[in-house]
Amino acid sequence: MYGLVPGGREWIEMAHLLKTFSITPRDFVRAGEISIAIQGILKSVGFGQDVIRRASVCAYESEMNVVMHGGKGTFFLAVEPEMIVMEVADDGPGIQDIDLAMQEGYSTASPEYREIGFGAGMGLPNIKKNADEMEITSEKGKGTRVKILIRAEEESGGAG
Amino acid sequence: MEEQVKNASWDHFVRIHEDLCNGCVLCMKVCPAKAIRVRGGHVARTEGLCIDCGECMRVCPRGAVKAITTGSRKIDRPTAVAIISPVLYTQFGEDITPGDIYEAVKGLGFMDVVEQAEVMAQYVKALELYIREKGKSRDAPRPLISPVCPVVVRLIAYRFPSLLKNVVPIITPRELSAREARKKIAEQRGVDPEEVRVYHVTPCAAKMISIKRPVLMERSYLDGAIGISTIYPEVLRELKARKEKKGEANARNRMVEWAASGGEIDNMEEGNLLAVSGMQETIRYLERIEMGLLESIDYVEFRACGEGCIGGPLTVADKYQAKYTIRKLGRRQRQGLQADVAQVEERYKSGWFFTHWEPRPIGHREQTLPLAEAIRRQEQVEKLRRALPGKECGACGSPDCATFAEDVVDERASISECVFLKRPREKGESG
Ligand SMILES: Nc1ncnc2c1ncn2[C@@H]1O[C@H](COP(=O)(O)OP(=O)(O)OP(=O)(O)O)[C@@H](O)[C@H]1O
Ligand code: SF4
Ligand SMILES: [Mg+2]
Repeated sequence: MYGLVPGGREWIEMAHLLKTFSITPRDFVRAGEISIAIQGILKSVGFGQDVIRRASVCAYESEMNVVMHGGKGTFFLAVEPEMIVMEVADDGPGIQDIDLAMQEGYSTASPEYREIGFGAGMGLPNIKKNADEMEITSEKGKGTRVKILIRAEEESGGAG
Repeated sequence: MEEQVKNASWDHFVRIHEDLCNGCVLCMKVCPAKAIRVRGGHVARTEGLCIDCGECMRVCPRGAVKAITTGSRKIDRPTAVAIISPVLYTQFGEDITPGDIYEAVKGLGFMDVVEQAEVMAQYVKALELYIREKGKSRDAPRPLISPVCPVVVRLIAYRFPSLLKNVVPIITPRELSAREARKKIAEQRGVDPEEVRVYHVTPCAAKMISIKRPVLMERSYLDGAIGISTIYPEVLRELKARKEKKGEANARNRMVEWAASGGEIDNMEEGNLLAVSGMQETIRYLERIEMGLLESIDYVEFRACGEGCIGGPLTVADKYQAKYTIRKLGRRQRQGLQADVAQVEERYKSGWFFTHWEPRPIGHREQTLPLAEAIRRQEQVEKLRRALPGKECGACGSPDCATFAEDVVDERASISECVFLKRPREKGESG
């Protein structure tokens, strides 16, 4: 994916605004805090409403997946005027069949999770829908890494 | 910055009196807009950020925060109409009926007294029609948001502008009441509607700003607001004076339940309806809605005050006492106000209920920076924030460490203000 970013991985490491958060699996009390923080950062920067919405949806879904299915995780954010890159990695059980996981409605969430409103199997498809680019890599037993790119070329400034 | 403060200072109706303020940090800590700082032993406010919610008023132990309402000397009662919020009915305990209270207000010399309740059943029906209509449309925003609480509406215009399109464009009951009362009186007396003065008897510190600087309409139909706490002693005196005469008791018809959180959706029959009250809770839910997490919900009734308008800053009775009163009063009747459905449908189609106004976001200063600069600024803020001790003490005069970091980067504060980040030289000197 980073092939499409001018300068690739290096660019990302030189991006002006970088932030790393750590995610604790199964911590439902703090779950969602990272995406709210990211939403706040993007708002104070002043990206367009649609960019902020798409980025926060992606952030939320990927954060929740680590909390619900993953292991110890990190959430990495890089922001430049043209794009927002998020990389969410965890050392959990990994995804066996990524194509299957990407399908709408596919979920391995337990009945308990479904009871509290998760496990519709819409998270990954939702990321795909809202991101300009998305890439998942996973190794069974080792973990999962989701990379998300949101382009921000459109109008800036949430207020007018 | 300076200029913004100057231009905007008359724009707010919640004011802090410097002579009563001792510069403690309580209001600064609760301000949801992070608009308050303590500077030189007094609080200072960035006017452009204030949403007139009145949270500061509630916590101030010295009574230094006051809400400005229309001064009683300004109101010429014999030529003025008073619109009463149902919250008024919850302020006198269970033994005094809404009918008694209505009669008492009538005894205070206004030209006319109108109960907001009169239009509420119609408002609710129109709302139902709107929710149903939007429910069928695929690209309608979800969930829809109540237009009633002016603090929530301002909060959305400032911090969640993408959700302005979720706010239902139906005129609120208080404004509908004002518009109709104005029309009726003008006709009856053969005067210009513009000449009629209409005031809202309200629990709400934000009513004045919603009248003077409306977000959802081009112009308000109200001329001003009278705080319930201002008029309370007079109403009480009048109630005592007319003790023998018993007013009609029907509380349901007076929509007393509307005064508490959930009262608006309680009168609706169908749909996935949610009521949220309290400032922090409201912000939390708006954040979630912005992330697209509440799309299964049709409509959210937000109230910035905990427990709804009975928790408004200009009330007299404790909000739980008021809630108790609502329960007691409401129990006595089963039947609520009935709207003439055919008439509502006809008015709905003709646009009678609608604001016909596109609300605009209220801008922030930072958001006018070019993106590249804004990102650089944000990175500086993040860096500084990591260097700060995270004690959240407020001793620097900013509400929390993160906001202090912003203030330093924006050159509104000096880093030396942080009491924990002592410079080495100073340490040596003092030790
Ligand atoms: N970080 C992860 N680690 C392990 N498995 C994952 C991870 N992320 C996703 N999965 C697997 O992919 C499946 C589909 O994920 P998706 O986010 O689409 O749905 P969900 O999380 O089950 O439900 P929803 O997101 O709608 O609440 C999950 O049920 C899970 O089996
Ligand atoms: S909850 Fe009611 S009293 Fe409080 S700010 Fe909103 S409208 Fe005003
Ligand atoms: Mg998921």
